[in-house]
Amino acid sequence: MSSSLLEEVPPPRLDPVRGVREALRRRHARPGGRLYATLRWAGAGVFAALVLGLVISLVWSSSDAVRHFGPGFFWSGTYDAAKDEYPTGVFIVGTLVTTAVALVLAVPVGLCAAAFLSELAPRWLAAPLSVAVDLIAAVPSIVVGLWGLLVLTPVFRDHVEPFFKSVPVLEWLFHGQALGPSMLLAGVVLAVMILPTVVALSRTAMRGVAVADREAARALGATRWQVVRTAVVPGARTGIEAAVILATGRAMGETIAVAMVIGNNYSFTHSLLAPGATLGSAIINNFAEASPGIDRSAVIGLVVTLLVITALVNVGGQLLLRARARAERP
Amino acid sequence: MVEHGAKGAGRGPGDHGRRPRRTGLALTAATALALAASACGSSSPTAARHHTASTTTTAATGAASTTTTAATGAAPASTTTVAKASAPASHSTTPPSAACSTSGGPLSAACDTKSPSLQVTGAGANSIQPFFTRAFYFYNQADHGVNVNYSPAGSSVGVSDIQQNTVNFGDSEIPIKTPATGTGGAILQVPVDLGGVALSYNLPGVSGGLKLDGPTVAGIFLGTIKAWNDQAIKALNPGVSLPSTAVVAVHRADSSGPGYDLDQYLIDTGGSAWTSSAAGTTPSTKWPVASVGVGQQLNTGVANYIQQTPGAIGYVEYAYSLQAGFTNAALKNKSGGFVTPSQSGIAAAGAQAAGLSASNFNIVNGPGSGTYPLANFSWTLIYQKQANATLGVVLGKLFDWVTTTGQNQAAALGYSPLPANVVALAHQTLLQLQNAAGKALFSS
Repeated sequence: MSSSLLEEVPPPRLDPVRGVREALRRRHARPGGRLYATLRWAGAGVFAALVLGLVISLVWSSSDAVRHFGPGFFWSGTYDAAKDEYPTGVFIVGTLVTTAVALVLAVPVGLCAAAFLSELAPRWLAAPLSVAVDLIAAVPSIVVGLWGLLVLTPVFRDHVEPFFKSVPVLEWLFHGQALGPSMLLAGVVLAVMILPTVVALSRTAMRGVAVADREAARALGATRWQVVRTAVVPGARTGIEAAVILATGRAMGETIAVAMVIGNNYSFTHSLLAPGATLGSAIINNFAEASPGIDRSAVIGLVVTLLVITALVNVGGQLLLRARARAERP
Repeated sequence: MVEHGAKGAGRGPGDHGRRPRRTGLALTAATALALAASACGSSSPTAARHHTASTTTTAATGAASTTTTAATGAAPASTTTVAKASAPASHSTTPPSAACSTSGGPLSAACDTKSPSLQVTGAGANSIQPFFTRAFYFYNQADHGVNVNYSPAGSSVGVSDIQQNTVNFGDSEIPIKTPATGTGGAILQVPVDLGGVALSYNLPGVSGGLKLDGPTVAGIFLGTIKAWNDQAIKALNPGVSLPSTAVVAVHRADSSGPGYDLDQYLIDTGGSAWTSSAAGTTPSTKWPVASVGVGQQLNTGVANYIQQTPGAIGYVEYAYSLQAGFTNAALKNKSGGFVTPSQSGIAAAGAQAAGLSASNFNIVNGPGSGTYPLANFSWTLIYQKQANATLGVVLGKLFDWVTTTGQNQAAALGYSPLPANVVALAHQTLLQLQNAAGKALFSS
């Protein structure tokens, strides 16, 4: 019997056990025979193998450094260039802080912009504005970083940072010399980069809310703002949450734009005006010139740390949202 | 959706065809205008090169011709006699007895521009980029067959690229630890350039030449000196009125040759404050004290930040500092003199390199009243055994030209021409080039 892949599945024999097996196999077999089944499994397998291979090869390459420094590698605060020791803890804090600043700035603005585009804008304005927002997403990271470095840095050093320093209540968060490159500036640049994601996905989610819900709110006497607040946003909640999670992932992984505006200072500080460093900026500054051996292995360790943190934040965020949705279900 | 139906009524397929063509024409015109504007722009390095070329026309005409007499006579008027004397003295001005051969033959200045046609790729130090860009351009004018593409990604990238044999040559401010080897065998290290590191600052109201020594510079980069009118700086500069502006120390966020030089200088002169800090006692290309001040990428990033920020001080390759017109500090050298970076100061540092080799390359903090303490040679890395003999011949002739005739281009940009003994060392090293069978590519 030739075993060509294009051979159709043979008809079941009369033997009862065999017959049941064959019947089950025929039920699961699809038209096109084994070729299609093989291609399906191959496609899924290639994708899974790629992701698994990426993670495994990164973990393997970083194992030298982790074994050398011990588990303290992942929260170290000291930078020793001669011993190839990187302050991973400083970078993790920097990543989380800049991402938080970016979300605080981009999510409210993005949601308001999305609400405006989907509910309030006249049709002749909504289309070009949407295109403009999408164009921001198309700008390469290095261009945004360069713009931040050349245009925003002097503005921040001369106007924005002194302004924040002068506000007496926020002194704990905004103190120290106004240098220009800082966590605040990096957060603002990241906010500019994640804004299109938030706006586009939230707008799609809001437009997906049933017209009937909106009309019901209007019928009950809601103003336009109240319609948005009570009918549209809750109805679009899952889409908006997906947008925020996606934006968070992008903000955490950004490298070159952050490296150009964050000031690359490897020390713990609680002032947003101080220069700092993130995992992304540290990786891009150190990987190209890392000497083979422990140095390169340590930088790959930073990559693995970034991978783990991004995965944790993503998964954690989704679990949190799912738990909240379950709690709110009647 | 409702809107699509309402809006789409007036649009036909013909409109879609016309619009892309018009926008395409507009885009091409805009790009052409932008290219023309950038070529004429006064702040571009190309324009700066043309500007310096016009003031040193003799150098340009000298480099274009291939005879050695033009090379010796074309040293720019601004360099001192030290530089003139360092022009290729080891090569005779009479043509060699053997005719120039494109497949080897003698390695001499007369034959440097007679090589086979080839595209050459290289990667390495950011600090040598201005010199290489200019030198390779002039070499191409003289020998139209050779095009060199150099990627200034950093010294370490140059080293790892050549070790993995992904580029034809590498360049590093710090030579590879001998014995230097890669996947293609032994690596030759050829000194091609003598440059210096300027400590540039931006202090409105204070002119150039502010005197600084090892301990004060260490204090600045460690964060212990926080304002420009600190006692330590005032003590070194009694007659200068210093503002109370805060000091902003700028370092290189990536690995750098200038950082290595400054680290070496501070280990030698900065006292226990520097050596007991994270810096330690071994210089490193990664700036060791990254918890103070701001870090920027590459010489251009540091230069741009210093330009923007009053009170900033940082280290840049002297060529970049010259181009940007920075005010530079006068550093204390081993003999106690305060010297600002200049071609003569850097040349004096280069003249200290008596027994220069890839394992003995340090010329930081040299003695002499006019010696600038932060200077270093740049080393080109090529495989000794060239699997492709044509490539070997091209590389040998190219870098022989760079170390002899090409040094005129270095002087125009702020580097110092190589001293005679270093030119001889470069020549001797290039003579070691072999083909795949182990036979020398050049006869003499």
